[in-house]
Amino acid sequence: MVDFRKHWRLWIPFAVFLTFAIGLFWMQQRTLRVAIVPPQTVQTVNPKAGVHTRLTDEVEEWKIKRTLEMVRELGAPWIVEYFPWAYIESERGRYHWTHADMVVRHARQQGLRIIARLGFVPEWARPKDTTPLYLDEEHFVDFGNFAAKFVERYRGDIEYVILWNEPNLALEWGYTAPDAVKYTQLLRTVYPMIKAVAPEVRVLGGALAPTLAPPGSEFGVNDLFFLQAMYDAGAGDYFDILAVHAYGWHFDPDSPADPEVVNFRRTELLRTIMVENGDAEKPIIITEGGWNDHPRWTRAVRPAQRITYTVRAYEIAQKEWPWLEALCFWVFRFPWDQNSYQDYFTFVRTDFEPKPIYREVQQYLRAFAP
Amino acid sequence: MTQRERILLVTAGVILLLVFGGVWLNKGVQEALLSSFWRSDGTWEAIQQRGAWRVGLDPSFPPFEMLDASGVPIGYDVELAHALAASWGVRADIVAIGFDSLPDALKAGKIDSIVSAYPYDERLTQDFLFSTPYFDAGLRIAVHNRSTINELSDLSGARVGVEWGGLGDMVGRRLQREGLTLTLQPFETPEEMIAALLEANSVEAILIDNVMLRKAQAAGLPLRAVNAPLESIPYVIVMPRRAYELQRQLENSLHQFQTDGKLDELERRWFAEHATEDVAP
Repeated sequence: MVDFRKHWRLWIPFAVFLTFAIGLFWMQQRTLRVAIVPPQTVQTVNPKAGVHTRLTDEVEEWKIKRTLEMVRELGAPWIVEYFPWAYIESERGRYHWTHADMVVRHARQQGLRIIARLGFVPEWARPKDTTPLYLDEEHFVDFGNFAAKFVERYRGDIEYVILWNEPNLALEWGYTAPDAVKYTQLLRTVYPMIKAVAPEVRVLGGALAPTLAPPGSEFGVNDLFFLQAMYDAGAGDYFDILAVHAYGWHFDPDSPADPEVVNFRRTELLRTIMVENGDAEKPIIITEGGWNDHPRWTRAVRPAQRITYTVRAYEIAQKEWPWLEALCFWVFRFPWDQNSYQDYFTFVRTDFEPKPIYREVQQYLRAFAP
Repeated sequence: MTQRERILLVTAGVILLLVFGGVWLNKGVQEALLSSFWRSDGTWEAIQQRGAWRVGLDPSFPPFEMLDASGVPIGYDVELAHALAASWGVRADIVAIGFDSLPDALKAGKIDSIVSAYPYDERLTQDFLFSTPYFDAGLRIAVHNRSTINELSDLSGARVGVEWGGLGDMVGRRLQREGLTLTLQPFETPEEMIAALLEANSVEAILIDNVMLRKAQAAGLPLRAVNAPLESIPYVIVMPRRAYELQRQLENSLHQFQTDGKLDELERRWFAEHATEDVAP
């Protein structure tokens, strides 16, 4: 054996290495520290304006802060953000809040109202070889436990939560058949668990994908049929606000609502179903929507149209739809380039370069603001 | 054993542990080592046995891929896929899949390749092999054939047309911020922008995506590109990670198509045929 006491020089490399490592760690901590700004407020002419941010996979804190700062500077007081269950409770009963805390803290400092989308199933809550969107009924309570922990932790900071996403698509149920009764059961299970710990939190249900899928389609169920089926199953008592996805595809925002067409005013058809089912007092929040300006995608419009349509849609939200509480467009910015048509939904590039649509919408939303 | 030998032994042991640990942790290194011993390509073998190359694409991006009146996929990429398959003595089976699902379909073995105006994505290089680009759909500076503008710096002091809100508009504003003294003139459509350059002479250059430019050129308009793309969007063919033989065959065929003019012919056919609907004047 080497006698380290006798050969004291052998300790020198260890001491040097240790000092170097501590120094590096200290420098890294100094570099990563992001200043928390004093509380800000959003200056806007349209208090219903919002965007869907995408900070889930954004690692660096300064980028989270800058993204939310740019949302405030746009003049949009609302954001929708995804808080994946699997990221926070990757092990049953052990919660990792660091990233979520960071997002919530910076959003609040920027004066933004957060609508939290909850979903994405951890491995321990689903069978092997299923996708993270698969959830069977025996784990609804587990999802409810997570949702309750979530609203409890962010009580006072987050007042809105969306339960699940696009439950009328097979993809969003891990490629199992979408079922309004099953989704209603999810709401029936989770809603009271949230209300038990934070009764003031408003639960959004629905978030249906606008689709003309024919009856029997393996991919999805027509959103209008699905919403009625939810009411038939008794879902009305288990959500406070209907979340709506309002994509315009290549139609302008004033194109009339038509059950055979996916356009922005399809929202009005969903509203009609709510009224017919005695839910006229319940508001709607559009949690996804908008137009795409990819140069060749058949569902896209030209960039100039996208700008005009986006501004007009915000106007419709404010002036024509009193039952609408907020309109949040997909998507403000991605953490990295998607290298697909998805990049043409954004307002800001991954490197924070504002697209012309950002400037134009900002001009509209902050017309009278300093 | 002397003390020095013991120290050397311990050090060698630590280094060996680090090397093995690194290999064990790094899937890429493992596969590289394995493939150096055994470079078989199951995808290529399956294509040969099947007599068909299964190609995934989303027929929503004309003129590269779209559906004809009877719902059959057509377009530049479709014809390229058929030509590539024919060069290997097999047929191409076209599988229409939503763009977002194409990588998953390739991973799951539902298709052998993606040929779908697919931009190169460095984040996917751990999962897939890519061909060399066969088309760049990026942003170009275009001028009249008679123009004296030959490089980016020649735009200084020039009036430059852009499509309002588009990539050209954004890049134009960036060039201004970076100090290039050009005047941007926005147009609502690419057609108006091209007409302003070629007919009204109200701008000296335009910033236009390469597909639109190639379509205009294919329609006979006197336009030429200046410099390399200001923003590059290279389209590539995507293959499974270990499809080395398929990649080799594909590179050979693409190279052949570049030298014998097949790719130019495809551009002429698909860009010219669909040029009239959105190219002025």
